[in-house]
Amino acid sequence: MYKLGAVFAGILVAAMIFFNGTLTGYFGNSTTLVIIHTIGLITISLYLILKREKILINNKIPFYLFLGGAIGVILVSFNNICFMNIGVSLTIALGLFGQTVMSLIIDSFGLLGLKKHKFDVKKLIGLSLIFIGTIIMSIN
Amino acid sequence: MYYILAFIAGTLTIISMVTNSTLAKYVGTAQSTLVNFITGLLVSLVMFFFFNNQSLAFISFPLWALLGGFLAVFIVIITNLVIPKIPAIYTSLLIFVGQLLTGIIIDFLVNHSVNSNKIIGVSIIVLGLFFNFMVDKKDNKKEINLKDEISIS
Repeated sequence: MYKLGAVFAGILVAAMIFFNGTLTGYFGNSTTLVIIHTIGLITISLYLILKREKILINNKIPFYLFLGGAIGVILVSFNNICFMNIGVSLTIALGLFGQTVMSLIIDSFGLLGLKKHKFDVKKLIGLSLIFIGTIIMSIN
Repeated sequence: MYYILAFIAGTLTIISMVTNSTLAKYVGTAQSTLVNFITGLLVSLVMFFFFNNQSLAFISFPLWALLGGFLAVFIVIITNLVIPKIPAIYTSLLIFVGQLLTGIIIDFLVNHSVNSNKIIGVSIIVLGLFFNFMVDKKDNKKEINLKDEISIS
């Protein structure tokens, strides 16, 4: 049941890229970014109000942790631009390849304060399969 | 060019995910998401004032396209419901597969056709994801065994 939940989350990610990309087609990139973040902010605020969560945000938290949203803006605009030019499935496939490479790099060097995991050479096989699959997808 | 942008978007996804989940350790996921959207909105507004060259005349557009920002929050909530219930590596594998399949379906609905290369490509990608998933699974088992030995000794 929960596994279906994970698949459902993936379905929603693809739908989101499609919705955001469509919006970019109408409004251009920077206006779309403002719309997306305004609606997201309203949604999460309503959620927090309904849950009556006590706000724990304070100035003792390291500043760089507040910057995730800034990175988010860049990645959403890249996704939007790519959606309009290469479609949803290829944008996702290339993105997954990037995600896999980046998580392997972070894990093997223990970057961003995470625990170090030794790089398993066998993973290069999976990585090459993902790369080959992505190339095949990009052939018209 | 767009291929490289999509790849970079993937690497940035991981960096922002790690940053947000580290923040979540301090304030919980919901408030970490709140911070994420506040920072995102501020940066977007700055970009809007510097780069927007389109006039803001009312454009008619499909209202459903507004759901993207809502989904972004909804995805975080669902993922957080699911993560504690099934092993994390399962979660990412299943989310990836869900994304890829839906991506193909959406491209099909938009273009009314799908080329076979996309289906072959996605099958190979899923194979690669699954292979690395199995490697991870083995490594995790080894680590757990190691922990057992340490706790016994």
